Amino acid sequence: MLRYNFKYELRLLLRSRWIQILSLILLVLFGFSTFNGIEKVEKRKNDILTAKQQVKESDAAMLKLLDSVERGLEVSASPWTIPTNPMNVGNHHPRVAAMEPQPMAFVSTGQADLFTHYIKPTVSGDDFALNFTEMTSPVQLLFGSFDLAFVIVYLLPLLIIAFTYNVLSAEKEQGSLRLLASQPISIRKWVFQKLILRFFWLSVLVILSLLVVFFLIGVEPLEWTSTLSLLGLTICYMLFWFALAFLVNLFVGSSAKNAVSLIMLWVIFVLLAPSVLNQLGNTLYPMPSRTLMINEMREHKAEVTKRQDEILDNFLRDHPEYAINDTTQSRNFYHSYMASQKVVKEALEPIVSSYELQLHKQQEWSKKLQWLSPAIVAQESLNQLAGTSTADYEDYRDQVIGFAETWREHLMAYLYNNKPFGQQDYSSLPNFQFSYASNTTMGVSALVLLLVAGALLVFGFAVQGKSQKRGLLSN
Amino acid sequence: MITTDKLTKKFGDFTAVDNLDLSVKEGEILCLLGANGAGKSTTINMLLGFIKPTSGTAKINGLDVIKNNLKTKESITYIPENLMLYPSLTALENLDYFAGIAGKELSPQMLTDFLKEAGLQEEAFQKRISTFSKGMRQKVGIALALAKDTKVLLLDEPTSGLDPKASNEFGALLQKLKKKGVAILMATHDLFRAKEVATHIGIMKDGKLRQQFVAENISLSELETAYLDTMNYKEALS
Repeated sequence: MLRYNFKYELRLLLRSRWIQILSLILLVLFGFSTFNGIEKVEKRKNDILTAKQQVKESDAAMLKLLDSVERGLEVSASPWTIPTNPMNVGNHHPRVAAMEPQPMAFVSTGQADLFTHYIKPTVSGDDFALNFTEMTSPVQLLFGSFDLAFVIVYLLPLLIIAFTYNVLSAEKEQGSLRLLASQPISIRKWVFQKLILRFFWLSVLVILSLLVVFFLIGVEPLEWTSTLSLLGLTICYMLFWFALAFLVNLFVGSSAKNAVSLIMLWVIFVLLAPSVLNQLGNTLYPMPSRTLMINEMREHKAEVTKRQDEILDNFLRDHPEYAINDTTQSRNFYHSYMASQKVVKEALEPIVSSYELQLHKQQEWSKKLQWLSPAIVAQESLNQLAGTSTADYEDYRDQVIGFAETWREHLMAYLYNNKPFGQQDYSSLPNFQFSYASNTTMGVSALVLLLVAGALLVFGFAVQGKSQKRGLLSN
Repeated sequence: MITTDKLTKKFGDFTAVDNLDLSVKEGEILCLLGANGAGKSTTINMLLGFIKPTSGTAKINGLDVIKNNLKTKESITYIPENLMLYPSLTALENLDYFAGIAGKELSPQMLTDFLKEAGLQEEAFQKRISTFSKGMRQKVGIALALAKDTKVLLLDEPTSGLDPKASNEFGALLQKLKKKGVAILMATHDLFRAKEVATHIGIMKDGKLRQQFVAENISLSELETAYLDTMNYKEALS
C-alpha cells in the first residue's frame, strides 16, 4: 500500500496545487522572516560598531589631550573632563561591553528586543545591571518579531493544520472512503501513511525553501551544523503537529470539527500554555517591586552622601590596598564618592539578591514546565541556537558586571594612590571581550519532540480500533 | 460464497436487518429488492464489515467478515450507488491505485485490458475521472473487480440514475462476471433490471427477507405483483 500511496500522493498534491501553494507560502514566509532577522542583526552590529567608533574617536581625543598635558601645553578642559584624572577616564572614556550577535542570531530575536546588547560601564554610573532593558516599542513587544522562529513556531503549525485536517474526512465527504474501506487495507494505516507522506513532502519543501532563502539572501557565514540543528528541530516540531493531526483525523470526524479541534490545540499549545506558565510563575514566585528597590537605592545613596567623609575613612581602613602607593594623602570628591558607592552596593546586595533569586526561581520553574508545550520547547531551542535566550543575556550581563568591576578597580587604584592617568597607561586599560558559551539543549528538545510525537502516533494505533466504527463509514 | 445466518442489526429500538438468511453461490446473482429503509444497504454494509451485526453472522467464502475483515475484502469488490474515485486522477491511475493498494500489481497493459474488458472506451483511459459520467465510473469499478480477480461483487443501487443504454451495458457486464463464477449481490429498486440479470431475487421489507424467487421461474409482471403485495402498495395504488 505504501508504494502506491507514495506514487499517487504526490500526483494528487501536485494536481490539487497544494505543493505549489505551499512552496510559495513557505518561500514568502521564510524569505521575509529571514530578511527581517538579518536586518535586525545588521542594526545590532551597526549599533555596536558605531559605539566602538565613538570610543575610538573619544580615545584619540583623550590621547591628544594627554599628550598636550604631558608636554606642558595649556589645554582647555574642565577639571571634570580632563583625562589625567582617572575618574574622568572611567566616566567619559568607557569601553564598549558588547554582546556580538551569533552567526544564527537572525533565526530568533528571542530576548534581543528586551535587553540591550551593548553598554558602556562607567566608574561612577548607577548600577547598570538594573537598567539592562532596551527601550522598545510596546506595539512590537505585543506582536513580537516576525522572525524565522515566529514562522516556525507559530505559523508552520497553521500550515500543517490546513494541510492535514481533512485527510480522512475529505474522503468521506467526497464519497471515496467507502471504496477505500472496501479494499483489504487498514484505514488507520492508510491515514497514517497519507500523513507520513504529507509530512515527508512538507519537510522536503521546508528544507528546500529554507536553503533557497539562505542562499538567496546570502546568510554568511552559513554554519552548517547550526543549520542542520535548525532543520532537525523544525522537522521534529512538525512531526508533533502531524501526530496531533493523525489523532484528530481518527477521533474527531467531519472536516469542520477537525479544523476547529486542531485550531483549539494550536491555541492551547502555542498561545495559552506559555501565557499560563508565565502567569503561574509570577503568582508562585512574585518579583519584589522594582520601584521599591530603586527608591530604596536612592534612600541609601542620600543617606551615605551625608556621611561620605566617615565612609571614606572606614573604607580606606578596611581597604588599605587601594592607597598602598599614596604619599600625598590628598582627598577630593571622587575619593568619597567611590567609597560610598561601594557602601551603597554592599547595603543593597540583599535586595538585589532577593530580586535575582525570585527571577531565577521563576526561570527555573518555567524551564521545568516548558516541556508541557512543544511550542515553548521549540522557541526556547531556537533562541538558544540564535544566542538570544534568557540564559545568553544573563551570561552577558554577568560578564558585563564582572568587566565593570574590573574597570572600576583598575581606575580606583589610580584614584586612591593619587596617581594621574597618562598616555603610557592607555594600553593597560581593560577591554571587554564577550565570550559566548553555547548552552543549547537542542538535541534534548528534538528528542523530546520526537518522543511526544511517537507517543501520540502509538496512542492513535492502540486506541483507534474501537472508534473506527463510530459512524465514519455508515451513511 | 456469500452467506448470512440470522444476521441482525439493531440501531437502538429500530431493527434494520432482522434474522436474515442469505446464500449466494459462485456464478449466481441475487438481487435484493425493497423500498428505502428495507435493510438492503445495511446488509451490504455488514458484509463489508463497515457495520458490526447485533447478532448472527455474515460470511464470505466461509470466513466471518468481522473476524477476518481484511482477508474477506481481498475477494470482494464493492460498487456503491455513486462510485467516487479520485477526480484528479485518470481512469488508468485510479485503477492502478485501487488495485495496487488491494495488493494487485498490474502492468500498464493489464490495466488497459481490464478497462477495455469493462467496456470503457479507449480514449477515456487517460482522461481524468472528473470528466466521467456515472456510467463510465461504474465501468472503472467493474474493471477493478476484474483486476482484483474478485470472487464476490457487492452492488448497492448501481444502476440508479443510469440511462437505459448505460444500465443495459452494466447488466451485460454483470452477466460476464457471472460467467466467470463471481457471486454477485445487488441491492436495487429496479425490478426490470433485476429480472434481466438476476439468477435469484429477494424482496426485503422492514429488515426481513419476505419473498425469494428463482428469477427464471417468475415473469416480470408476477415479480411486480409480488413486490407490490409485499410492500402493501396495492391499496395505495388502487
